[in-house]
Amino acid sequence: MGEAAVVNLFLMLRVLLVGGIFLILPHITRKGLLFGVYVGEAFADRAEARRLLGDWHRGFVILMVVSLLVGFGISLAGRPVAGNFTGTAVLLLGGLGLYIRFHSRARGLALPVTEEQAKKATAPLVGGEPKGAGLAKLALGLCLLTSLAAFVYAVASYEGLWSDRSFVAVMFAPSLNLILSPFLALLALLTAHAKRSVRGGSGGRSVEAQDAFRASIANVISWLALLICAFMTILSVQIVRIRLSGTSSLGGGFWLMEGVMAGVVIVFALFNLIRILKRYGQGGALIERGSVDAPLTDGLADNVHWVWGLFYVDRGDPSIMVEKRFGIGYTFNYGNRMAILITATFLVLFLSLIALGLFGLTGGG
Amino acid sequence: MMLTLTIDRSLDDPVYEQVADQVRRLVASGALSPGTALPSVRQLAGDLGVNLNTIARAYRLLEGEGFLVIRDRAGVAVSAPANEIEHSARAQLLEQMRVTLARLRQAGMAHEELLSVMRREVLAMDGGKEGHDG
Repeated sequence: MGEAAVVNLFLMLRVLLVGGIFLILPHITRKGLLFGVYVGEAFADRAEARRLLGDWHRGFVILMVVSLLVGFGISLAGRPVAGNFTGTAVLLLGGLGLYIRFHSRARGLALPVTEEQAKKATAPLVGGEPKGAGLAKLALGLCLLTSLAAFVYAVASYEGLWSDRSFVAVMFAPSLNLILSPFLALLALLTAHAKRSVRGGSGGRSVEAQDAFRASIANVISWLALLICAFMTILSVQIVRIRLSGTSSLGGGFWLMEGVMAGVVIVFALFNLIRILKRYGQGGALIERGSVDAPLTDGLADNVHWVWGLFYVDRGDPSIMVEKRFGIGYTFNYGNRMAILITATFLVLFLSLIALGLFGLTGGG
Repeated sequence: MMLTLTIDRSLDDPVYEQVADQVRRLVASGALSPGTALPSVRQLAGDLGVNLNTIARAYRLLEGEGFLVIRDRAGVAVSAPANEIEHSARAQLLEQMRVTLARLRQAGMAHEELLSVMRREVLAMDGGKEGHDG
């Protein structure tokens, strides 16, 4: 299989996968939340909500087709990698635009927060290390050590390291590994400590459900970090060996191996996310449901601190991570300095690496 | 049953007092036994959505009163009741009790009712029965 065919196959799989996830995302969130907006649990069954969801499905299917056409068009013009990136960018940016449009429509249906909801808060009085934190710490240590070892190996092995474009050729994968896998493990650790809201009566069942969901998500992220670290370490070593042999192209076999590894990571992530969602529901809502009379979006009802229903910003809340309103798992509280620092550090490192990868590192010798 | 802690910002009582008061009641009733670990300052503050200093202040207050033990690494735990009470601390607590009893009497609680409430609270402490809000 040629390099262009593999790259195009990647694009198609990515569009189908990412697009498919986005299509079902509004159905995954807690009942009562619509495109990140609290509209009340009773609203979820009404025709207005169904119409909004139907429009979302149609819009996203059109966007998926457009992104594939753009990607394949550029690929046919002889630039498969550029086509892959452009098609993905069209899907992601278009998806964001579409989401913001639907979020605005949902805002028109938002319920006001009651005084009681805003001023009362209940927390579980249970100490000790949360479930999932132990594995996350272990993953963090292993990812840091392994990715650092692969990075040092790449630096030590390649003589012409700082010559023209050698960064792209040799150091991209080990550098990405050094950023990505420890960050994922850190994310798992922070997820294990994410905020919990007690709902309905004494809230015991509610907290147990959230704890179980939180631990499962943290465990999956930890295993993902370990898996990605292992695969990227293998790839890093492989790249250095191929480059040392003097070959200019990595070859179809290498890309196929990368495809298989990426496939394993994606299948692992998807399988586990589906398993968690079927068992617990977002935030543990499936276990909570039926055990309490109060609305299960209670505690998530405040729309004020949510920007676009995606970004939580509350300076008065010391939580680093809180439950998502749109999507699976947890998100950062961007009113918290530590959350801003972690996100900014990751973005600066990641984007710098991408920029160096795109434009190359010239000079030196 | 899972123990929970509720705060209400609409009340006049400061949040740290609300936290401290609920922990005191739970320790006194036996629901929180000696050695039980409590959430860290960061976790509890995050779950309640209040400032870290608010919870830290409540925990320090409870530590000073002998309800909690704060260890840097091991976290926060309920402390065991002291074997002997210091003379000055005893005198201070008895004085507080006298003031509270006087206020209850002044608020209209009858002599017999006062004795009954006190008896119930003491029994609840020993047996872990419901004893609040006489």
